[in-house]
Amino acid sequence: MTTAEFLSLIKSRGATIFAPTSATEITVATTNLQNIRAAMLQPFMLDLYKHCSGITLGSACIFGPTEIQRGTKYPMPSIEKINHDMIGNKNLFGKTVFGRNDLFWFAFDVNGNCLMLDNLTLSVLRKYDDPYRAMMDCLIVGKI
Amino acid sequence: MQLNEHSAIERLSALGLDDMPVIEFTPKRCPLNPDWFKKYCELRREFLSSLSDSLEEIAFMNLPQNEFMGLIMGQSLPDNLSIRFRIPLLWGGELKIENMFMCMTFPHSFNLDKFIIEQSDAKTIFLPNPERKVYLTTHTGGGGAGGNATSDRLSQSAFNFMSGRGNE
Repeated sequence: MTTAEFLSLIKSRGATIFAPTSATEITVATTNLQNIRAAMLQPFMLDLYKHCSGITLGSACIFGPTEIQRGTKYPMPSIEKINHDMIGNKNLFGKTVFGRNDLFWFAFDVNGNCLMLDNLTLSVLRKYDDPYRAMMDCLIVGKI
Repeated sequence: MQLNEHSAIERLSALGLDDMPVIEFTPKRCPLNPDWFKKYCELRREFLSSLSDSLEEIAFMNLPQNEFMGLIMGQSLPDNLSIRFRIPLLWGGELKIENMFMCMTFPHSFNLDKFIIEQSDAKTIFLPNPERKVYLTTHTGGGGAGGNATSDRLSQSAFNFMSGRGNE
């Protein structure tokens, strides 16, 4: 699956896809993640950010490189803000959280593996080989 | 981090949830039934259908008209609203409406996740346990921008509800 195919599929399920931001903002997000020793943005995330700056589907979301304003709704925080808030959690060492829904959080590690984490202790519940499958699992729970 | 009731309420207050009641709970991992996800999906729909008794709180969320109607008719959950368990399923929480509540995803549900995760190494954990099915902080929102749009009228009636309860 390609990023374009993934976005097309998730859009057909009712997801809101936010317009992409500038390359500079993506570089700043990468640098900020490096500074807090989270995993650097992986190729699949960089590719996603070229196409969009975040995705929401109901209560589920994939965070973007910048905060997303949503009219009267509370803004969706950036990936850097989310991970900055979780600094010091031993279960997140070497990982970067990129999405959440009402049941699970989703992260990638320094090797580019995607992980499903429980939202109580952030322990790993599942490891994904396919990042698009992980993002799909993250978003689809938002609209059940 | 082991909290006591006072420090738990203080921490919630720092996270912007200063009126959230808590319950003390000793976490113990429980196995989930194989069909838990199917039941969870059904229960979410059932919970949405049951929200017609929470009009006051929903009106105060200042939702657009279509999202408001979809929600009170139990058809759809608008963006940025989350349905949470009072006692998580992994810790033996029951798949029942009484074990669920609804709140805003950002900032509330995300901050409640953080609040629980911060206590993950503690023996006893304080869990958020709002009084009603829909959780709103008392300082949420306002009277709206005015005008004749439905969302403005909903905002106004929500403000009136809250004024009547002494929460303005």
